[in-house]
Amino acid sequence: MQTHALLNVDRDLLLPFFERVPELFDRYHNDSQSNPEMYEELLYKIHRPLSSDMLDMIDDWMGLEHRRLNQDQDLMLRLFLLAIRYPDTLLLESLDDIITEDVRRISAYLHFTSHTYTIWDQDTRKGLKLLGFDIPDTQKADPFIYGAYVGTIELIKDLAPFTCFLEHDVPRQRLFQAAIAQYGREA
Amino acid sequence: MTAMSKTEIVEGYSPNFEGWVQEFHEWQNRIGFDPAWLGDYRFEIRFDWISAGDSIEFGDFKGMPKWSRRMQIPQQNIRDAIISMISVQGDTEFASVEQQNHLLATAPTEYDRKSALRIMCEEQRHGWQMAYLLCTYFGEQGVREAAKLLERNAQDGTRLLGSFNAPIDHWLDFFCFTHFIDRDGKYQLKMLSTSSFQPLAASMGPMLKEESFHLGTGANGLRRIVKAGVIPTTFLQKYINKWVSTGLDLFGTDESTSAQWAYVYGVKGRYDERESDEDADRDHLNEASRGLYFDEIRSEMARISKGRPEGDPELYLPSDKFNRGIGKYSGKLYTVMGEDFEGTEEEYAEYLAGVLPSDEDERKLMEEYMAPGVEWIQYRESKE
Repeated sequence: MQTHALLNVDRDLLLPFFERVPELFDRYHNDSQSNPEMYEELLYKIHRPLSSDMLDMIDDWMGLEHRRLNQDQDLMLRLFLLAIRYPDTLLLESLDDIITEDVRRISAYLHFTSHTYTIWDQDTRKGLKLLGFDIPDTQKADPFIYGAYVGTIELIKDLAPFTCFLEHDVPRQRLFQAAIAQYGREA
Repeated sequence: MTAMSKTEIVEGYSPNFEGWVQEFHEWQNRIGFDPAWLGDYRFEIRFDWISAGDSIEFGDFKGMPKWSRRMQIPQQNIRDAIISMISVQGDTEFASVEQQNHLLATAPTEYDRKSALRIMCEEQRHGWQMAYLLCTYFGEQGVREAAKLLERNAQDGTRLLGSFNAPIDHWLDFFCFTHFIDRDGKYQLKMLSTSSFQPLAASMGPMLKEESFHLGTGANGLRRIVKAGVIPTTFLQKYINKWVSTGLDLFGTDESTSAQWAYVYGVKGRYDERESDEDADRDHLNEASRGLYFDEIRSEMARISKGRPEGDPELYLPSDKFNRGIGKYSGKLYTVMGEDFEGTEEEYAEYLAGVLPSDEDERKLMEEYMAPGVEWIQYRESKE
């Protein structure tokens, strides 16, 4: 898969983005609408054992209504979050439809419980398209589409030169996802 | 210039380097680093040839093709300078593991233990990479220098740079070390990333990516300590006073002729070599890098200090004149604010005891602030 991905990279599209990664990240992540303080708090406040309150905090930061799940579904969701290991996304298929109906929500849960997974958002998808990676749109947490989204951001991270890797109190996946989102937002 | 990163991983090693690898395993054993701690981590030789560039970027050989083999290097003194740079870099990598590996047993959280272990694995890989360059490109002389990387020892005080012989007794020192000293390492690596010796320049890209995690660990660790609010900032300030002068000294002497020659040879550039539009001031190369470093740690300190409990005084950087071991301020008496100290040397020693960590402070740190059960650092879970 890595071979297939590398052969489809358009280097010319990536270079202007790489030159701006630290600045793009800063503009997106530190935008007041992004509430960076709360994001950074969540890095510390979300930990095992996972509670429903922790997931509520993520919903609040994402600006989403709290999820409406019955007790079994809530337990199933928390077990899923504990069990999944990157790069797996197929485990999403084991969940009830109601849990996977909003890819933004579940990707945020995944991000805060396992940093390798990135938050789904439309600006990031637009940014990825500008970089030559056309990820189909979806509302639902489709394991293949979300897997392609996460894997593409990981690939871009691998290809980035060292000048992109400034230290921040955020995971590198967030550094790149936020920079790509700003790139898409500016288009 | 920003190049795409495309890392080559070397598959086969020369007999010289394979022999060194045996010595490396003995070194791990000698310092008490259990190879089982590495898990599935594998030491690899990584090169990023694209970011290394093909033409010499500065100095008297500017515009000529970069040297990719020893025999292409035009003069013996340039070869010696390159061997020396690689040896010093490799020496610091192994030294830091010798200084820190005992801390794994007392990590405050699993996250910190894993972070420290990752740093130690990557520092060993960096040392491994430097030894590979010596053994592969510099014949018998290189093999001898590579062997010495494992013979000198931080515990014996025989490492090449002073701060790599200093004991790292506890986690506060560890976070200060990774914040201030590894940041100096980032500067050294970036200055070598434009080197005229292409295998050295190509080694730096992958190393710099890894180094950024080490710096982040230091900065985050200090921020988490400040946020936890158990160790007062007035107390932490003493440790900052101690480590900043050490970090500044690592950039070398003022008006350094060896830095000037390294620039003339194109072996080691400025920190901002590729970004700068101005000609280098060859007489003050170390001072320029030190100045950029000082600006960077000043703004980082403001970020770290932001999380302090209400009422605690702000953390600050001591003056770059304070407590210096080398350069024009060395041997002179300055306060932490950089003012001339009015008093005798005995009075100055008393003053230093108040602004640097004393034995009593060390005792208090270990027995009170960091005593078992005290949450002296903000909790963070270990995640992928």
